Amino acid sequence: MSTLWAASVRHLLGHPAQLALALTGLALGVATITAVDVATASSSRAFELAVSAVSGPATDEIAGGPAGIDERLYVRLVGAHPRLAFAPLVEGYVAVRGEALQLVGVDPLAEAAFQEESAADPTAASAPTAASAPGAAVVDSLAGLGRWLTAPGAAVMAASTADRLGIPTNRPFQLDIDGKARQAVLIARVAGQQAGSETLLLADIAQAQEWLGVVGRLSRIEVRAPAGAAGDAELAGLRSELPPGVELEPAQQRSRATLDMTRAFTTDLRAMSLLALLVGLFLIYSAVSFAVLQRRKIFAVLRALGATRLEILRLVLAEAAVLGAVGALLGLAAGIGLGRGLIALVSRTINDLYFVVAVNSVSVPASAALGAVCAGILTALTAALLPAWEATHVTPQLGLRRSELESRALGLSRWLIAASAACGAAAGAIVAGSSRSLLAGFAALFLLLISVAALTPALLGASARLSARLLGRASPVGRIALADVAASLSRTGVAVAALALALAAVIGVSVMVGSFRESLRDWLRGTMRADVYVAAPGPGFGRPERRLDPAVVAALASVRGVSHYSARREVTVSSPRGPVTLEAVTGAQDSDSGIEVTEHQGSVWPAFARGAILVAEPFAWRLQLHPGDRLTLGTAAGPRSFAIAGIYRDYGSGAGVLMDRAVYRRAWGDDGVSSLGLYLSPGVTPREAIPALYAAAAGRQALLIGSSSEVRALSMSIFDQTFVITRVLDWLAAGVAAIGLTSSLLAWELERSRELGILRALGLEPRSAALLIEAQTAFMGLVALVAAIPAGLLAAELLVTVINRRAFGWHIDFHLHGGELAGALRLALIAALLAGLYPAWRTARAPVAADIREE
Amino acid sequence: MHRVLDAVDLEVRTGSAVAITGRSGSGKSTLLNLLSGIDFPDSGTIELDGREIGSLREPERTEFRRLHVGFVYQFFNLVPTLCVEENVRLPLELNGVRGAQARRRSAAMLARVGLGDRLQSAVDTLSGGEQQRVAIARALVHEPSLVLADEPTGNLDEATAGEVVPLLRSLVSARGATLMMVTHDRALAAAADRALELREGRLYPVS
Repeated sequence: MSTLWAASVRHLLGHPAQLALALTGLALGVATITAVDVATASSSRAFELAVSAVSGPATDEIAGGPAGIDERLYVRLVGAHPRLAFAPLVEGYVAVRGEALQLVGVDPLAEAAFQEESAADPTAASAPTAASAPGAAVVDSLAGLGRWLTAPGAAVMAASTADRLGIPTNRPFQLDIDGKARQAVLIARVAGQQAGSETLLLADIAQAQEWLGVVGRLSRIEVRAPAGAAGDAELAGLRSELPPGVELEPAQQRSRATLDMTRAFTTDLRAMSLLALLVGLFLIYSAVSFAVLQRRKIFAVLRALGATRLEILRLVLAEAAVLGAVGALLGLAAGIGLGRGLIALVSRTINDLYFVVAVNSVSVPASAALGAVCAGILTALTAALLPAWEATHVTPQLGLRRSELESRALGLSRWLIAASAACGAAAGAIVAGSSRSLLAGFAALFLLLISVAALTPALLGASARLSARLLGRASPVGRIALADVAASLSRTGVAVAALALALAAVIGVSVMVGSFRESLRDWLRGTMRADVYVAAPGPGFGRPERRLDPAVVAALASVRGVSHYSARREVTVSSPRGPVTLEAVTGAQDSDSGIEVTEHQGSVWPAFARGAILVAEPFAWRLQLHPGDRLTLGTAAGPRSFAIAGIYRDYGSGAGVLMDRAVYRRAWGDDGVSSLGLYLSPGVTPREAIPALYAAAAGRQALLIGSSSEVRALSMSIFDQTFVITRVLDWLAAGVAAIGLTSSLLAWELERSRELGILRALGLEPRSAALLIEAQTAFMGLVALVAAIPAGLLAAELLVTVINRRAFGWHIDFHLHGGELAGALRLALIAALLAGLYPAWRTARAPVAADIREE
Repeated sequence: MHRVLDAVDLEVRTGSAVAITGRSGSGKSTLLNLLSGIDFPDSGTIELDGREIGSLREPERTEFRRLHVGFVYQFFNLVPTLCVEENVRLPLELNGVRGAQARRRSAAMLARVGLGDRLQSAVDTLSGGEQQRVAIARALVHEPSLVLADEPTGNLDEATAGEVVPLLRSLVSARGATLMMVTHDRALAAAADRALELREGRLYPVS
C-alpha cells in the first residue's frame, strides 16, 4: 500500500468513533431501504409461492364469480377435452389455533394425473413449481387413498406447520371456518421444504366443499394445455364452451393483478425509506468534511510536497467509496434483520388492505441487495464530492486560514438562498406539471426538503448574528456563544441543515398522519350509523366464504331491542381490469347510511337503485374512473357493464365498487350476507343488546359483534398499526440527523478547542464551558425548528394533497394540531441537547494548557 | 492592497546557503512560497535553473515542487499516521519511486540523519530534534535542487538546534542543492553563506 493510502486508512482507523458515526448513518439509511425491500418482497414472494403451490403446473385457470363454478362443468370438460388436463380446486381461508391457513380442497386422482402428465409431457408449457403442487404432496404422503377419501375431516399439512401449531398426526384438531368450529384430523404430514406449502391445509375436495359450505361448487379449475398452436386452439375451443359468468384466463394473471394492487403501498414505503437515505447523505457529508477538516494541515503538507489536486481528490473520494461500501454492507445485513421485523407490519397492512399472506421465509432479492449497496456507495460519493473538492483546494502553505474558510462558507450560504428558491420553485413546477405521477410527487417532496436544507445556513447565520447583538449587552459569554455559531457557518450550517431537514420530514409526516387520522375518524363517525355491527370472523376482505348463516341472521334480527338492520355482502368479482372488491349493501340511499358521495353525475340514488354503481375514491383513482363512465364486471350471467353514478369517500375498507344488494343478488345469484349493521330500538344500549345477540348465535356460528364505538376504535387501531412503519422510518431519519449533528459539533469543537481553552484560562468554569456548548446546540436546534416548521407544513400539504392522492387516491382533509409541532420542538431540543452532550463533556474535561499551546 | 514584497531582486548561486531574516509580517514566508511555486507574483519573474516558475500553471507548479523542492518547517509537519520511514518515503512515491527501491532510499536517508534505528517508530514518539531530522530526511530524500527551510530551529532548544542546523547544511551541501532559510535566529543567519534582511518589502544584506 502506498504511503498516501496508508495515511488515509490509518487516519480513519485512528478515529473509531468518527468512523462508527459515519458508518452508522450510512448503514441506517441503507438498512431502511433494504428492510422495506425485504419486507415487501418477502410478502409478495410468499403470496406468489402460495399461488404457485396451489396452481402447480397449470397454464390456465377457469374461474367463476363469488358463487364459484358448478362442479358438473368440470366433469363435462374432462370428457370433452382429452388433450387438456384439468384439476378442480376449492379454496378458502381457515383459522387453526389462531393462525390463518389457506384451505385447498383437491381431487387427488385428478391432481396426480395432472402432475404426471405434466412431468411426462415435454410439450407442456413451463410451470412455476410443479414439484410443490398439492396433488403431488397428497399422493406422495399418503399410504393409501382410502383413508383420504373416507376418514371424516381428513387433512394434510406441511410438517413444519404441524410442528409450529403443535398438531400431532391422527389426532383431531379444530378448524375455525367463518366462525364455525369444524373437526379435522391430520392424517399425514408433508415432509421437506416445499415452497409456499407452509400456509396450506389440504383436504379432499368434497370435505373442503362441506367445510366451506359450497357443496357442488368449485373455486377454480386448473387447466394445463400443451404449448404451441395446438394448445391455443384447444383453449379457444374451451373458452367458447364456458357458460356465462365463468372465465378462462392465464394462470397467475389473477395473482399478478392482486399483487399490482399493493404497488402504491410499496412505492410509498420505498419513498419513505429513500428519505432516510437522503438524511444519511447529509450525515456522510458531515463525517467526510470532518475527516477533511482534521487533515487540512496534512493535505497542505502533501500539496507542498507535490501531491496533485487529482491525487487528493482521488484519496478523499476513495475513502468515501470504501466507507460507502462498508456502510452499505453493514446496512444490508442490518436491513435484512430489520426487514424481518418489518415483515410482520407490512404483511399485517397487506392482510388488512389487500390479501391474506403468511410470510414464513425472508426473500432478499439480488436486485434489492445490489441496489442497496450501489445506493450506499453513490450516496457516500455524492456526499463526499464537496469536502473532496474543498480538500483539493487546500492551499499548500499550512492550510486554509479559518477566516478564509468561513468567508467562503458565508458566501456559499448566500448562494444557497438562491439554490433554495430554485429547488422550491422546481418542486412547485413538478407538482403543477404532473397530475398522476407518484414519483414526481416524491421528487417534489425531496426538492422541497432540500430547499429547506439549503436555506438553513443563511437563516442560522443571520439569526445568530442578530441574537448575539441583542444578547451581547447582557452577557459577553452569551455573545461569544452566539457569535461563534455565526462565525463557524462551515460546520454549524451543515449540522443545522441536516436537523432542519429531518424535522421538516417529521413535521410533514406527523401532520399528514394526523390529518389522515382525523379524516378517518370523521369518516367512521359519518358512515358507522348503526348501533351494533356483526361479522363472521376470518382473514381477508371480500372472501366469499365469510358469510353469516341465514338462520343466524334471522335469529339476530329477531332479538329483542333490534329495530331493523342493514345487510352487506363483500366479495371479489372479476373484471377486464383485474379483480374488483365489491360491497353490496341495502339502504345505501337512506339518510342514515352515511355514504358520502364526493363526485356524481345526475341523481345518484335513483340511478343506484336501478343498477348503477358507486366506486370508491382509491379505486376510481387507480382505474381513472369518473362519474358517467361504465365498468364491466363478470356476473353469473357473463360480463355486464355498469354505469358509474358517482364516487364515494372510502378509507381502508379495501372496497372498489358499491352496489345495491338487490342488484347484486340478481346479477350473481348470491344471497349471502357478510356483515350486518343493527339499529337498536330507542332506549336500548349496545351493552344491553350484545349479550342477547351472542346468545342468539350461540352454538351455530361464532361471530364478531361490537358496538359502533368499539368497531371505530378497532379501525383506528388498525390505522395506527398501518402507520407504525411510517413513524419508525420517520424516527430513523431523525436519529440519523441527530448523529450528524453530533459529528458536526465534534468537528466544530475540534476547531474551537484553542478558543475555548483561552476562555477557560481566563476563568470560565468547566461547567460553564459545557453549558456554553449546550446553549449553542439548543439555539441551533431552535433555528432548525424555525426553518423546519413552514417547510414541514408545506411537506404535509404535499403529502396530503399530492402524494397520498397519487399513491392511494384518498382525499384527506388537512388537520393541524399543536401536538405535531410540540413533538417537533421536543425532538429538536432533545436531538440538539443530546448531540451537544459529548462535545460539552469533552470541552469541560479538555486540558486548558494543551488547548492553548497547540497550534 | 498591501504590497508584501516590492522590487525584490535576488540571485542565488547553486549550492549556496542563503538566510533571510526580518520582523514578523515582513514577507519572509511569502518569499519562500513564491520560490516554491505555492504563490505566484503579481509582477516580476522567478527562475530556477533558468526555468521561469512564476508563469507556470498550477499542475506544473505542483510538479515543479514535487521534483525540485524540499521543505523543512518550524513545526515539522510530519504526517502523524505514518511511521518515520513512511514519512520519508512519501516524496519518493509522489515522484513515482515505489516499492523496495523507495524503502531502501528512505532507510539510507534516515541513516544519514542518525535515525536508522527508528524506521518504524511513530513520529509522535520522537523528540523535537528527532522529528526535525525526519523532516530534513524527507526534504532531501528525492534529491531536490532547492531546499526551503521556514524557521527550522524555531521549535527546538538551543542545543538541539546546534545539532540540527549543521546536519541540514552538510546534507544540502553534499547534494549540491541550494538552501534558502527563513529565520529569526541571527546566529543561524550568520552561519549561512549569505544573510539578507527583508525590510519593507525589499532585501538588504545583513551587515
